[in-house]
Amino acid sequence: MSATELPRVAVVSSAQTELRAAWPSLQHVDLISTAVTRALAGSALRIEDVDFVIDSGSDVLDGRSISNCGFLGALGAHHKEESRVEEDGLWAALYGVTKITSGSADVGLIVAYSKPSESDLAAFYWTQAEPFYARPVGLDHRAAAGFHAQAYQAAGGPGADAFATVVARNWERAAANPAVALDGPPPAADDGAVPMSRPVDGAVAVVIAVEDVARRVTPDPVWITGMGTAMDQHTFARRKRGALPACRAAAQMAYRRAGIDDPRRVSLVETGADSAVGELMVLEALGLAEPGRGIELYNGGEHIAVNPSGGSLPADPVMATGLVRLSEASRQLAGRAPHRPAGATSAIVHGAGGIGGQNHCVFTLEVDPR
Amino acid sequence: MSTPNVAIVGTGQTHHSRRRTDVSTAGLVREAVVRALDDAQLTFDDIDSVVVASGPVLFAAVNQPEKWLVDVCGARLKPVVRVTSGGGTGLAGALAGMNQVAGGFAERVLVVAYDKLSEGALQYSISSLYDPFWGREFAVGIMGFAAAYWRARMDTLGHTEEAAAMVAVKNRGNALRNPYAHVKKPVTVEEVLESKPLAWPIKLLDVPPISDGACAVVLASERAAASITDRPAWIRGMSYYSEADNGPDRSMIQSEPLAIAAQRVYQKAGITNPRRQFDVAEIQEPYTCFELSYYEGLGLCRPGGAAELIASGATGMEGDIPVNPSGGCLGANPIGATALIRLAEAARQVTGKAGDHQVAGAETALVQAGGGWANLRGVAVVGAEKN
Repeated sequence: MSATELPRVAVVSSAQTELRAAWPSLQHVDLISTAVTRALAGSALRIEDVDFVIDSGSDVLDGRSISNCGFLGALGAHHKEESRVEEDGLWAALYGVTKITSGSADVGLIVAYSKPSESDLAAFYWTQAEPFYARPVGLDHRAAAGFHAQAYQAAGGPGADAFATVVARNWERAAANPAVALDGPPPAADDGAVPMSRPVDGAVAVVIAVEDVARRVTPDPVWITGMGTAMDQHTFARRKRGALPACRAAAQMAYRRAGIDDPRRVSLVETGADSAVGELMVLEALGLAEPGRGIELYNGGEHIAVNPSGGSLPADPVMATGLVRLSEASRQLAGRAPHRPAGATSAIVHGAGGIGGQNHCVFTLEVDPR
Repeated sequence: MSTPNVAIVGTGQTHHSRRRTDVSTAGLVREAVVRALDDAQLTFDDIDSVVVASGPVLFAAVNQPEKWLVDVCGARLKPVVRVTSGGGTGLAGALAGMNQVAGGFAERVLVVAYDKLSEGALQYSISSLYDPFWGREFAVGIMGFAAAYWRARMDTLGHTEEAAAMVAVKNRGNALRNPYAHVKKPVTVEEVLESKPLAWPIKLLDVPPISDGACAVVLASERAAASITDRPAWIRGMSYYSEADNGPDRSMIQSEPLAIAAQRVYQKAGITNPRRQFDVAEIQEPYTCFELSYYEGLGLCRPGGAAELIASGATGMEGDIPVNPSGGCLGANPIGATALIRLAEAARQVTGKAGDHQVAGAETALVQAGGGWANLRGVAVVGAEKN
């Protein structure tokens, strides 16, 4: 089957809770139902119109086995088809899109959430390491980011100053994003350490629909034109460091499906990396800059706008980060976000999973010409 | 709108046992993957995408274990994603893979499901699925409420202890002919009834073993299947429905998500008389009482007719609708894999590859799976012919 025969799928609405360091007064179900209710309220659809729910969360972060089971009511999944994708929410969206392009459903609700303020986030990461050889030496997401940064600089890329620029620029933009609650300026990185993303609590819900439904329920459908995903090998010591070949593979798959020859001509990109060096490597793997030169995208003058929402570094809701990027990019393209780059008509959306960026997912989006 | 056909072109499973100390989790998964690829006569290079399914990560204390398993699936730089949905996760994973194929994302998808239950504290892990504030004080794994509802079904539907014991006799007997089964010991109705009560009326021999095991299935588009095999098994319908846990009017006497899933799948596959149209069924019976309940939920008999159905012998190997010729969960129960094993066994039945537990001439098979606290339910129809 060629991509051109597939039904078109659009994001028709999305919503999120405010992303903040902690929501001590709200439970998981409160965050989830807030996002779901707002997403439906932002469309002409009711919960009865939704055919299925695909959700993303983590049993480990939730402290609960099969945690989706306890949240089905809040998810709006009662008596509907539901599945849990235990990976960043952008993969839940990918599953949802295939459920519509297969012809088995018309309208899907994609939900992702995390509440790291109630969990041991370090354990969430180190328990992902292979148990026999990698865990005993202390491999976790911070160590992996450090190794990436060393290799990135050794290959001629910039170092701490560039990472600080990436952080400062994203914090500046997040401060202008009403969906993000900052606690103040970015925390100073430990001496020599790579700046990591700031974990936050929050939930996001995205409504996707097949073309004829999308055109009926919104004047601004945001078309999903391409999707790609790829996972690197597990053993970090054997992976390429200072670059992300899996992100490149995921991007190429998405661009091929979307017919994108030059991604630098896309209007905006929203990335889901968990460290400053990770964000630079992602931009390079997406084909937006040469290796080691991602920082040039922050200096202005480039066509593509990088993380107009502030991106994932000031606000990283762990399992929801990539789906928040999809929500943010869609709202910008539909003209529903104050931080929309002028004239934006297309977007690249990125989500990641695993230690040191082992897994990557890339979506491409566009809106009809106005 | 019609959905494109998807075929099962290869299946493989491990030799299941209580403790597979000879392999790590990765090695266990590898065994099933290699067998599925061999069955399809494919290599890693032929696979476009991998879906991993397993039970809760607390079962083995490796978070996001698909990140570890990517290498044994030969999937570096390919799409790999994990779907988890409690005990029925194997079928939920197959459904995700089926949509990847039917939705044009991939031509050949490897679905792999496993659990290595010897490496974790099983009932503790299961108990953690209950609400941390209101549910855990009285939760004892999954057995407590299953016993309570069986007791209720005894009164309303006549699902007697004797009827459930007949399920144990049948499935444990069938497992004797399954080379991959973990427990191979025939039992009698009397032995089941006299076995130790665990949460009455559930007794020791009503309960499946705790197993290490994995299963893998290769799914393919109609075009890809044509170049792989001249005898694929076609997925004629598959659905997986949920029920929110907090509905005060929730009935566990008959499962509502099961009824919805069955209705949807039967409609797609043109099944109007399940008892007559199915040649064989593979259903996921975590306790014997569940198999009785599913007979009714799946329409193999009228509500309240399950005890009569098992007593008639119709669901035995020589009956008109054999259920669980593989031995079902009572033969082997690597939880995350069991639902995919049901699908794989059904595929082997309709392609005539089920060996010593083959149902002669089977062309249409029913598959059922479930998870959560009895609130996630899946159904599939697999056939030698496509829709």
